[in-house]
Amino acid sequence: MIHESLAATQAVVTLDVPLPDVFWGWFVTMNMWAKSIGTGLIFMLFLLLRKNSGEMKGLRTSTLIVSFIFMNVFLLFTLADLHQPFRMWHIFFYPHWTSAITVGAWMATIFVGLEFLMIILGFQKKTESFDKLLFWITLLAIPVTLYTAGIMAEASARELWQMSTESVQMILAATLSGSAAIILLGGSKLSDETKQFFGAILGLSALLAFIIYMSEYIFGGMKSEEVTAILAHVKGDGEYATMFWIGQWVAYLLPMLLVALSRVSKSNSLLSLAAILAIVGLWVVKHVWLVIPQLLPLS
Amino acid sequence: MQLGFLVDLHLCMGCKGCEIACKVENEVPLSTWRLRVKYVDVGTFPETKRTFTPLRCNHCENAPCERICPVSALHYIENGIVNIDKERCIGCAGCVMACPYGAIYIDPETQTADKCTYCAHRIASSMMPACVVACPVEANIFGDLDDPTSNISKYIQDHRDVRVRKPEKGTNPHHFYVGAGEVNLNPLASQRIEGYNLFDKITTLPLGGHHE
Repeated sequence: MIHESLAATQAVVTLDVPLPDVFWGWFVTMNMWAKSIGTGLIFMLFLLLRKNSGEMKGLRTSTLIVSFIFMNVFLLFTLADLHQPFRMWHIFFYPHWTSAITVGAWMATIFVGLEFLMIILGFQKKTESFDKLLFWITLLAIPVTLYTAGIMAEASARELWQMSTESVQMILAATLSGSAAIILLGGSKLSDETKQFFGAILGLSALLAFIIYMSEYIFGGMKSEEVTAILAHVKGDGEYATMFWIGQWVAYLLPMLLVALSRVSKSNSLLSLAAILAIVGLWVVKHVWLVIPQLLPLS
Repeated sequence: MQLGFLVDLHLCMGCKGCEIACKVENEVPLSTWRLRVKYVDVGTFPETKRTFTPLRCNHCENAPCERICPVSALHYIENGIVNIDKERCIGCAGCVMACPYGAIYIDPETQTADKCTYCAHRIASSMMPACVVACPVEANIFGDLDDPTSNISKYIQDHRDVRVRKPEKGTNPHHFYVGAGEVNLNPLASQRIEGYNLFDKITTLPLGGHHE
């Protein structure tokens, strides 16, 4: 309808001063990317415990430390993106519980605190307590992974971000980057069979995430003119079209191919390459999806 | 009490008196606006006309900005106004991302979110908002939507073409327009062609945080 009215009215904005285009830039991309790796590693460590606890030796503390570092990168960029970073404590003293930002900040803080405790347990070689706590922190990792999707859903102005798809994409980002990170971190400590297991998680996560992105790319605009306008930025000559496809290839298509090849040729090098590409590509994919809805004029 | 706004676009002549009055009253910094008048040119020469649409916060009943604010800096007051506590705001820009109307900005001087408050400080002193006082043609009608005898309620009763911006968002805005067409209210109904803006070189002040 709008397309027809444009042709009929030839309406052109001749005076308006809208907001700056991109308010949540690459600091927020870093936030999402680092959190995916941080929580994804916890998911993978839990799977390793359930699948083959014998291979946990030497990986408990190191995996927790890497996850802890990425969670702190996530918190650092969250803080750095605030215009009033020294007022961050307001979230804890004046919490507003309808906001996914508040809920997420609290959960992430508890999560990082638990990780710190587990690292201490790891150094003290209290394996049993560590493994018990791993179950609870894995449970907490689920809402910590999901809450960013809640923030995106509460951002009512950005029609592209729907809770149903974003929540699945957040979990898949965590399983993709978590499996990739543990493949790289595990090195010789993991058996070939376990590596292939994590490779399968990586490949399947990439496949599912790619299917969802393609579904949105092809069908997303069919029910909403706003989504049509947003997706125009990644289609044809769109400003972010090249970056979008680089992300899809590097994060999903190439890792899927490399995982399949590594299974056939039993090559750990190919699997490691798939893992590196998935981690790098995920940043690009997340960034494009974060930025394009912000290019839509709201007034 | 539920305060609301109505703009009769049949009357508005795009003088920007409301915009300037708002700037002065609220000391709105350079490069930011609580209220602004959008011009859209319609038609092909010589059959052309210019439309004017004052845009401000809609003070929604179901305000996305209030919901997403992590520290309740954005909050309702008893007369229905969505107010902002700048001392509490942490500048996360969640409200900027949530507002479907692009009505919230980050104040470059205080580095906090800000927006139209329907001049809540003036209303507390039984005065009308600055933009209402400044309008030379009384296109801005302000009052209590809960009172059927108020000017705004009567205006809504008497006019059939009362519309709000983006009703599909479910925000239930308390800001209405009379005489508005699609080009006034739907940002996708008009093109934004480079070089067509009357003022292309607008000075913007740097903001904290990171923006592209």
